[in-house]
Amino acid sequence: MRETPLSNCERAFLLKCIQEKKRLDGRQTYDYRNLKITFGTDYGCCTVSLGKSRVLAQVSCELVPPKDSRPTEGIMFFNLELSPMASPGFQSNRQSELLVTLNRQLERCLRNSRCIDTESLCVISGEKVWQIRVDVHILNHDGNLMDVASVAAISALSHFRRPEVAIQGRDVTVFSPEERDPVPLSVYHMPVCVSFAFFQQGKDGGKFGFAESVAKERITVLTREETTLDTTDVHATAENVLSKADAPPEVVPSPVIVATGTGQVGEGLQNAWGLEEEDDDEEEEMSDAAKQKKKKDEVMVISDSEEEEVMILNQDLK
Amino acid sequence: MNSIHSCFKAQIGGVVLPGDVFRFNGSSVEEDSNIKAEKMVCGPGLRRNGDEILACKSGILRHKQPSMYWIDCQQKRYVPVKGESVIGIVTAKSGDIFKVDVGGSEQASLSYLAFEGATKRNRPNVQVGDLVYAQFIIANKDMEPELVCIDSCGRANGMGVFGAEGFLFKVSLGLARRLLSPQSEIVKDLEKIFPFEMVVGLNGRVWVKAKSIQQTLIVANLLESCENMTAQQRQALFKRVAEGAL
Amino acid sequence: MALDIGSPVLREFGSEQSLLSKPDGSATFMQGVRERSREQCVRETCEAALLSTLHPRSSLTLVLQVVHDDGSLLACCLNAACMALMDAGLPMSRLFCGVTCAIDAEGRIVTDPTAQQEKESRALLTFAIDSKEHNVMMSSTKGSFSIKEMQQCIAVSQTASERIFQFYRDSVKRRYSKML
Repeated sequence: MRETPLSNCERAFLLKCIQEKKRLDGRQTYDYRNLKITFGTDYGCCTVSLGKSRVLAQVSCELVPPKDSRPTEGIMFFNLELSPMASPGFQSNRQSELLVTLNRQLERCLRNSRCIDTESLCVISGEKVWQIRVDVHILNHDGNLMDVASVAAISALSHFRRPEVAIQGRDVTVFSPEERDPVPLSVYHMPVCVSFAFFQQGKDGGKFGFAESVAKERITVLTREETTLDTTDVHATAENVLSKADAPPEVVPSPVIVATGTGQVGEGLQNAWGLEEEDDDEEEEMSDAAKQKKKKDEVMVISDSEEEEVMILNQDLK
Repeated sequence: MNSIHSCFKAQIGGVVLPGDVFRFNGSSVEEDSNIKAEKMVCGPGLRRNGDEILACKSGILRHKQPSMYWIDCQQKRYVPVKGESVIGIVTAKSGDIFKVDVGGSEQASLSYLAFEGATKRNRPNVQVGDLVYAQFIIANKDMEPELVCIDSCGRANGMGVFGAEGFLFKVSLGLARRLLSPQSEIVKDLEKIFPFEMVVGLNGRVWVKAKSIQQTLIVANLLESCENMTAQQRQALFKRVAEGAL
Repeated sequence: MALDIGSPVLREFGSEQSLLSKPDGSATFMQGVRERSREQCVRETCEAALLSTLHPRSSLTLVLQVVHDDGSLLACCLNAACMALMDAGLPMSRLFCGVTCAIDAEGRIVTDPTAQQEKESRALLTFAIDSKEHNVMMSSTKGSFSIKEMQQCIAVSQTASERIFQFYRDSVKRRYSKML
């Protein structure tokens, strides 16, 4: 089914709004929509909504032989799906450009940043490791899917508990949740994507996470950053220039990236990004301060139970 | 008292679900032995099935004198109906017709000649992406719907291309109908805040334009927020806005 | 046999309608909080309830996303499908609901079994019941059972369906409460 086309009137109005530094829902250019994380009853299941965008992430695990190149590391597998439920324009079983982009970005954000300790997922070196599978289902597409998907995936991973195992020689016993408490994954840090959209040659820059269907003339620069509390260095991989087919000619294909971590655009605009970035971090944490705290707590719990795990293993070895 | 009406009576203003049946009650026939052939009009959501009336949508049962009944349903998908006025977006020009997206399951066609004063030589200036306010002249389930921008006398009568400025957004079909009703309280309340222009299509598309971008945005957001508010909540909100809360 | 048709035990229901902005209609359905064949079951039940003749030359896409599976999944899918169709305002001749019954080793009938109860059961029967005559529209069974047991299950399901239809009505009432 077709997506509703964008009318000339909406396009003109939107660009005018941005010129006046206004957004359709009354936000300022750097405002984020409300982020809500809901955890399910099962471990490793959570729903994240950002405004009207909504994403479901589910984590599952299974014991598999490791890759030959990395015999002591567990395997992380990410799978993001766009169903027609999210937006009538999406077709199932079709690899769209957006789908490929989102999947690749999610892998980069979560696997390549090594936020999960994959070595702790090794059960018997070269024989059995845990494969952690993260399924991200987009339920409603109202813009900025990348950010929501990354938050959903990392929240689900932090919430997930894998079954406890005992090793005796080469025999592996997997305990059910009733027998032994499942163990959380060790999460080193929590990468979160933040998307920006640039309009009209970057003369009016700003973070636009909403209504991609409306913001046709846009370039999304996905920035990856680590949001550990005291991390000040921000890994930025400004990339993934996504301009829609009918973008007007005045849009430049790639924005000017002055330095890593900053996305300065245009000449007239004052570069207040050094500040903004910190603001962003704070904003993220303030908008769901409680949840962030909870996450931090969970991280603590993770390290606690890791010790437990070691103890149990020692007991078994005795 | 007509018997078929009496079985509706109890439910007017109440919620009905698909599968609810209104049956002609035979017992009260003796009462009015001089039955005239009684007529009733089944509006959207009601279907006749033999000697009973079947509800096929969920919503609120409404009644209009003398014998009109329909179900007020909050659905999002528009189904074209002949004679209804809608806001369409021109998506393509092909030959002698424009293809227009009206939010239905398929695109509607609009002839070049269906504009006021248009002739074979003098074609109307319509571009892809433009908004048109038009009326359905053909709309049934088996045919491609067709729009016109003229009334039966060949006059534009408010229809045609519009919206060089202003903002278009979507609301539920129920809200669009509420906005279009002659004594719409929402519009009356909103007018008190500041003047604005508005076009509402029965397909749930609303176009607004006020003096400034800011005011247009406020009107659009207020209208969208009316979707799930009671009259009191709405008046309280509008009052706050009028007092300068935004 | 202790068979209490009067009040079949169903877990708490939960549901949310119109929760997504992009689709025309959407609903979640929770009950207590084999894909191709299941899809077929839901599809045929929906086709029977929908007045699809009113929309020829159109296609309808129904997407069911399983969030949790704690038993009675097919029944839950049917209930979610029905509520979503109703939410989208599609013309339907009747409503339908799904009820799952499990027969355990001792022959006891349990309605709305959890995943654990499903595992321990001897037979598992799911029925789609229509709202008008409480007829069985679809049945899906697994395991072995006698005809008598099946009839008992249908009777229990029909009684249980009343509760679900009442729940539908209450949910729709709540949804339209601001318009009354």
